[in-house]
Amino acid sequence: MYGLDTVVATIVATIVFAILAPIVGCLLAGLDRKVSARMQGRVGPPLLQPYYDVRKLMGKERASVNGSESVYVTCAILFTFIAGGVFFAGGNFLLSVFLVTLSALFFIIAAYSTRSPYAEIGAHRETLQVMSYEPMVLLMAVGFFMAIGTFDTAGVFTAELPAICSVWGVFLGFLFVLTIKLRKSPFDLSMSHHAHQEIVRGVTTEMSGPTLAKVEIMHWAENVLFLSWTAIFFVWANPASIALAVVVGIVAYFLEVFIDNNFARVKWQAMLKSAWAVALVLGGINIAVLAFI
Amino acid sequence: MELLAFLMIFPLVVAAVLLLVRSNGARKVIVGGSAAIIAVASLVLVGMYLGAGRVEFEFSSSALSILCTVVDVALSLLVLGYAVRYKNALAGVLAVVMVVLAIGFEVVAAHGIEVVHGFYVDALTLLMVAVIGVIGSGICVYALGYMEDFQAHEPEGAADRRPLFFALMFLFLSAMYLIVFSDNMAWLFTGWEITTVCSFLLIGYTRTEEAIRNSFRQIIMNMIGGLAFILGLYYCAIVLGELSLETFIAVGNYAPVVAALPAALLALAGITKAAQMPFHTWLLGAMVAPTPTSALLHSSTMVKAGVFLLLKLAPVFAVSLIPGAMVVLTGGITFMLCSFMAISQSNAKRVLAYSTIANLGLITACAGVGTPEAIWAGMFLLLFHAIAKSLLFLCVGTAEHHIGSRDIEDMDLLFERMPKLARLMMLGIMCMFIAPFGMLVAKWATLVTFVDTGQVALIVLLAFGSGATFMFWAKWLGKLAGIAGSLENVELTVHRSEWIATGVMAALIVLCCVGMPLLSWGIVEPYVYTVYGTVAGDISDGNLWLAAIMCAFIAIVLFAGLGSKGKGRRVDIYLAGATAEKGERRFINSLSGATEATARNWYMEGIFGEKTIRPIGELCCAVIIVVALAAACAGVLAL
Repeated sequence: MYGLDTVVATIVATIVFAILAPIVGCLLAGLDRKVSARMQGRVGPPLLQPYYDVRKLMGKERASVNGSESVYVTCAILFTFIAGGVFFAGGNFLLSVFLVTLSALFFIIAAYSTRSPYAEIGAHRETLQVMSYEPMVLLMAVGFFMAIGTFDTAGVFTAELPAICSVWGVFLGFLFVLTIKLRKSPFDLSMSHHAHQEIVRGVTTEMSGPTLAKVEIMHWAENVLFLSWTAIFFVWANPASIALAVVVGIVAYFLEVFIDNNFARVKWQAMLKSAWAVALVLGGINIAVLAFI
Repeated sequence: MELLAFLMIFPLVVAAVLLLVRSNGARKVIVGGSAAIIAVASLVLVGMYLGAGRVEFEFSSSALSILCTVVDVALSLLVLGYAVRYKNALAGVLAVVMVVLAIGFEVVAAHGIEVVHGFYVDALTLLMVAVIGVIGSGICVYALGYMEDFQAHEPEGAADRRPLFFALMFLFLSAMYLIVFSDNMAWLFTGWEITTVCSFLLIGYTRTEEAIRNSFRQIIMNMIGGLAFILGLYYCAIVLGELSLETFIAVGNYAPVVAALPAALLALAGITKAAQMPFHTWLLGAMVAPTPTSALLHSSTMVKAGVFLLLKLAPVFAVSLIPGAMVVLTGGITFMLCSFMAISQSNAKRVLAYSTIANLGLITACAGVGTPEAIWAGMFLLLFHAIAKSLLFLCVGTAEHHIGSRDIEDMDLLFERMPKLARLMMLGIMCMFIAPFGMLVAKWATLVTFVDTGQVALIVLLAFGSGATFMFWAKWLGKLAGIAGSLENVELTVHRSEWIATGVMAALIVLCCVGMPLLSWGIVEPYVYTVYGTVAGDISDGNLWLAAIMCAFIAIVLFAGLGSKGKGRRVDIYLAGATAEKGERRFINSLSGATEATARNWYMEGIFGEKTIRPIGELCCAVIIVVALAAACAGVLAL
């Protein structure tokens, strides 16, 4: 049957991604905490602290507000893995973007389903975060297409030049919304890793034990995927470019950690307006220029 | 050919019978039986001509043409009658103009013009036939139970106008079949006018002041479209000497300049019917009517006739700059701005209406782009929108009768109060906006098309509109998903006819989403091939199958995975350590009393309110349309 190879490749890549991405993401999260601590003049926890945290959560009693919440969270993590699978199987960039949105939706509904006031506020804000970054993310995929000539991520390996050469405006715009996607301050409205947030950890208020562990693992995988989206703009036919891309991904992450530590949380109006303005100016103009030349 | 005639005439006969039947029991049998017959006949027709390409039927009849004119005139006189009765000058004037134009057209302009192949069937027609036959008649079945409750909610002694209501529903179906089968544009126009007047009468059904006002808004806007249509026909008849739609499209293709004006006029007709800005308010006003009317108008008839015509004319828009630009920009702007305005609405029917207008805008924009890939996307948008939107309207209608409100804020905890209905509604909502469901796959194809053709404005409009779309659907979905304790189940009294109709729609959603690769291969690609001679597909088969597998998975989770007791201990939600009652969302306040914690969704009136956005959209689209028509007229004078 037509298309069977795509399906098989995606399933295989999804399984590989589901194993490797959490490992890499866990190490990144550990680095994040170490670097943040150094920036604040502390020593910080060991590199593997995020792993110890999650292992402990796994061992805790299952206690939840209802039976559906964990189903939604499982769907969210599953579709994050599939989004990664699509991306790393050389599949369609847009499909990867859409699947991350689907995963975000399940996460939001998990929060809504609890009917906890704190979780609901978190869910409202998370919905707004998605709306804020979605236009720029779509424009990023469009920019990728205009530079590479295909939406398939595999296309970069035959490109003469990396995408960044022609779509640097789109790339900068994406870097801006990446902060929202990673829920780093100043855009950590819906939930925050800092304990002192005014809405009691927002979306995840009611999640505990193994369910919370799933959320953590999902974030690790998400981080790896988003940084890969960033890095792919630096890959072209030269195999050595993959090393460059890895460096870019790491630099982007440190940039996010730096921003996280140096900016105070903003109001939602500022987030929505700035993200849309960036999308319109950097994304819109870059794409218009590419379309007309 | 016999089956075509049957589909056009049978609903007409049923309508006539229903007008006379006053007994509820008899009506149930007639409506149920004939809806089933229409659905089966439609599917048989689809089966017969599937893969046959374009089949034309040699049929021309001056008697039918005269009959059509008589119907046109009678409809306008009917409108005139209402305009006099309710003292609406503008509607009266438009009706008089229409009478004159309709008579003049038959006697002078179209005299002696013969369309050899009066009727035809192609894959787009088949798609429409399936939508009208299955979804349209499904809505008629649903209306049985709904109208019983509706009548019960009416004040004591209110007139029972249900015979008229059901007659109009079936008349609607008949007119839709006439529209999708006719190659003779004069006949198509008659179907067009019948749907206009039918929805006029259905919107005014309750005869309240608001209903009358909204029905006149509808008739005025659609008569403007009707006038544009008949003026376009005048041009076709006098300048081109042709009334065949197929020939007109061919002429438009090799002589875009000659066809620019009639194409722009027909596009205007399509835009009014498809409720694009600045004509979108008629569809918003239409929600005063009983819910089955809204479902019918939004999903399978009326507005779909508008986008059907636009999709048919797409090859002309692709090469003809002026009408093409007009359709593309109007559709794109409408999509984005109506998605914005949907955020600010808490009335469920209004959210659905804005979402309909927005999605029709997307289909309109696809038609305006007019490439094979755009048509591929447009046809899928049309199909999935029809199914999902009818399901949503039916669900909202039933919910309204059982929880006494159509406000989304009141649908809190619907997951517990009406478990089956909430899941159906969630399925419908997810089909409307999220991957991997059909509507999003079609949107995905739309985006690829816009990128391929370098439509920068459309890319940006689509990107921002999509962000807004996520917002307004996700917050509604979230409201439905709330779970708290065990509440009283209020859906036990829902009529069986309502369950049948909603069940059919839900099954259709799952079937069509999972079977999307097959639909593409069986219906959509063949249509693109007959029109353009090339095969299109923005989305590779592999990605379509991936989406199909994921749809099946989500459907299973939604209906089998959720709502179970689950493993582990149940605990109460966190209320900062001051929970007043177990299982309730009440906390102990500073005066030691109990306070209910409430949370409302965000509507962001200041940014996305109608007051801010509507004038911008109406002005932009009105200017675009006026400029395009003026340019097209100037082009004709310059010939």
